[in-house]
Amino acid sequence: MARPLDPLGFEDEMCPVCKSRKYLNPDIVFVFNPECYHSMCLNCANRLFNDGPNQCPHAGCNKTLRRKGFRSAFFGDLAVEREVDIRRRVAAVFNQVEDDFETLQDYNNYLQMVEDLTFELVNGTDERRRQAEAQLQAWEAEHRADIERNKKAGREADEISRVRLAAERDAVRQRRIEAIKEAEAEKRERVRSREMELDNLAKGTTAMTAEPATKVQLKRRGQVNRVAETASNPAIATTGMGTGASEVERLSIRGLKEKPKAPAPQGPYDPFGGMDFAPSRYKLHGGLSHPLMEKYRLDRQHVAGGYSFDDFAARALYEAFAGLGVFVEDEKEVGSGIGLSQETSMAAGIAAVVDADKMDLD
Amino acid sequence: MANSPLVARPTDALQPPKSLPPSSGGTPSGGLPRSARGQQIAALARPTMDLMEQMNEDEKNKYIKGKKLGEGTYANVYLGHSRLDSSTQVAIKKIKVQKEYQDGIAPDAIREMKYLQKLRGHANIIILHSVFSSKDQNLNLVLEYLPLGDLEMLIRDVDHVRYGAADIKAWMGMLTRAIWWCHDNYVLHRDIKPNNLLIAADGEVKLADFGLARSFADPGVRMTANVITRWYRPPELLFGARHYSGAVDIWSVGLVFAELIIRAPYLPGNSEVEQIALICREIGTPTEENWPGVTQLKEYTVPSDVVPVAGKDKYMGRFGAVGSDGVDLLTKTLVLDPRRRITAREMLEHRWWKADPKPTPKHDLPKKTAGAEEKLAADLKRRNGMVEDDDVRGSKVARKLDFGTAR
Repeated sequence: MARPLDPLGFEDEMCPVCKSRKYLNPDIVFVFNPECYHSMCLNCANRLFNDGPNQCPHAGCNKTLRRKGFRSAFFGDLAVEREVDIRRRVAAVFNQVEDDFETLQDYNNYLQMVEDLTFELVNGTDERRRQAEAQLQAWEAEHRADIERNKKAGREADEISRVRLAAERDAVRQRRIEAIKEAEAEKRERVRSREMELDNLAKGTTAMTAEPATKVQLKRRGQVNRVAETASNPAIATTGMGTGASEVERLSIRGLKEKPKAPAPQGPYDPFGGMDFAPSRYKLHGGLSHPLMEKYRLDRQHVAGGYSFDDFAARALYEAFAGLGVFVEDEKEVGSGIGLSQETSMAAGIAAVVDADKMDLD
Repeated sequence: MANSPLVARPTDALQPPKSLPPSSGGTPSGGLPRSARGQQIAALARPTMDLMEQMNEDEKNKYIKGKKLGEGTYANVYLGHSRLDSSTQVAIKKIKVQKEYQDGIAPDAIREMKYLQKLRGHANIIILHSVFSSKDQNLNLVLEYLPLGDLEMLIRDVDHVRYGAADIKAWMGMLTRAIWWCHDNYVLHRDIKPNNLLIAADGEVKLADFGLARSFADPGVRMTANVITRWYRPPELLFGARHYSGAVDIWSVGLVFAELIIRAPYLPGNSEVEQIALICREIGTPTEENWPGVTQLKEYTVPSDVVPVAGKDKYMGRFGAVGSDGVDLLTKTLVLDPRRRITAREMLEHRWWKADPKPTPKHDLPKKTAGAEEKLAADLKRRNGMVEDDDVRGSKVARKLDFGTAR
């Protein structure tokens, strides 16, 4: 593929069919067909394929080409042209964006996969190219809906950025017009004040009067600037903010769209969130009694404050049974529960507390 | 067993936690002279101390402290992540040494650690990953990182956040489950309010700030009546009851429910007297008829004009957005007599949860991302309702103004 250095392209630019060269025929246009990427001049292509499909005239190439498929190259090197075509096609199919993935790692893996596939298509042997092609088609068939959605989203993003750019251009133009107008107004003002000055001089008044005129002018210029700012800025601000906000929103909505992809089987709403705290080792009956409770059962403060004796009874029972079925040795091995170190660090702090029981006083 | 630090602790408690080198002088707080005996004890205690310090160091090294999310008088909050896996983010709440409690841990920090450890494992309660002490004996609580702010933020941001009955039902469900879990584990939260309800990345509401929590008291044991931020404080606490039950939390839940619906605090009293007056006006005057024994409570004072307890019609007018069943649940949480107030379990068994509309799945709940991080920090570093009642109110006003301007 090593092409000789030939800036004018005399050497290489020869039609392999009719052997005409750019040197002899400067108007010659080269075209190729993306079926096989063999180039020839436009005349030959027209001549050979005018009467319908025909075989590629290159020696050893048995592809059947059509007139319609021919186009002129964008890149001088047709290998590059071909790779770009392939990449364009692959990118149209694999058009996922980073937001579609749970983690960056997943996205990177996906990119790697796409690049591998592209490489096979571009540089692979026939066998591997066929394989990659099949993979690509399978993916396309399988993920048609996703591809369409992403394509649409991409178009929308393009549209947004186009609108924003247009708005920015508009704002710039507006500013320029404002600036020109302002400059003109200033010039007029200067001329006018000069005339006034001359008039004043002619009338014989002193230079004192001329001074306030310039001052007024300066003042006004400042005002003009400020007015211009407020006039041009809201447009930018609103358009900029508007598109910006909608863009952000759209992105977040797209992120949301991804999530219900796996809609959890919606059973009836469970107010308890699937948790149950019913004691397994005993059954709680109402009306439990204990002398300690009875003493306070009729106490007005307990009654009016809403103290719950049932809760107390339930707790007493719960605590009585709490240790059963817990084996410290097992938990140590599994390491469940709170780490010992947490206890320790708490202890380290608590050690300094003079009366650690204080915390339970109220 | 002899190696267990749990068993070794009582002997350590006699010594200051850091073993000082002999040259740096005696231990002033212990009052022991620099005698041979004192040094002997120190030498004996040292191996276990070092073990503890080592464990603490190991725990500390599990996390990397990141940028500061906020600073308060009570605590600083940092963003952090696990050393092993940088994608698991945590919020590290570094509790400052407080003037009143220089010799140890402030009671609210103890409460927070104790009850968060106890209540671990429920989806609607903030997870305490770890605790360690850093230099100068600063306590660090490693908490779950909840990036989406709190419920108050959503309630207040009337202009940008819209939600409906299904969303309210989802949030209330999560809140009620959290309270039910607390109460079934015999813990009173005692500071339920919208800005203690933080929102996780997946939309799950998590109950946080256990600085005022305590376990249910035994009969005859007095609890303080000066808990729960005033707007959410139930009448029995306002009347100075010292023996109360989980019903105090239910009242707060009811007021959060009301606030979710009307998007403004339902009973925003400026003082305790005004709070009682508001309750009497809106819900009804507590009397011996509707609350036997209420007049015996120590600080029972009500306005002279007795208002009858509000019927369902009155609530329907204002809270009708959640439907008839929802209003029924609300009225049951706002019953004056704590013994007749609905319990958390009964709340979850209420028919409203089964009625239409179905609660929104947590992923689809409205959320607000801007400013959420600062909000989390503000929530975590804040002192609890009991101490700073007046400041809380003041800052609320300021925050309201902020929302207007920071659009």
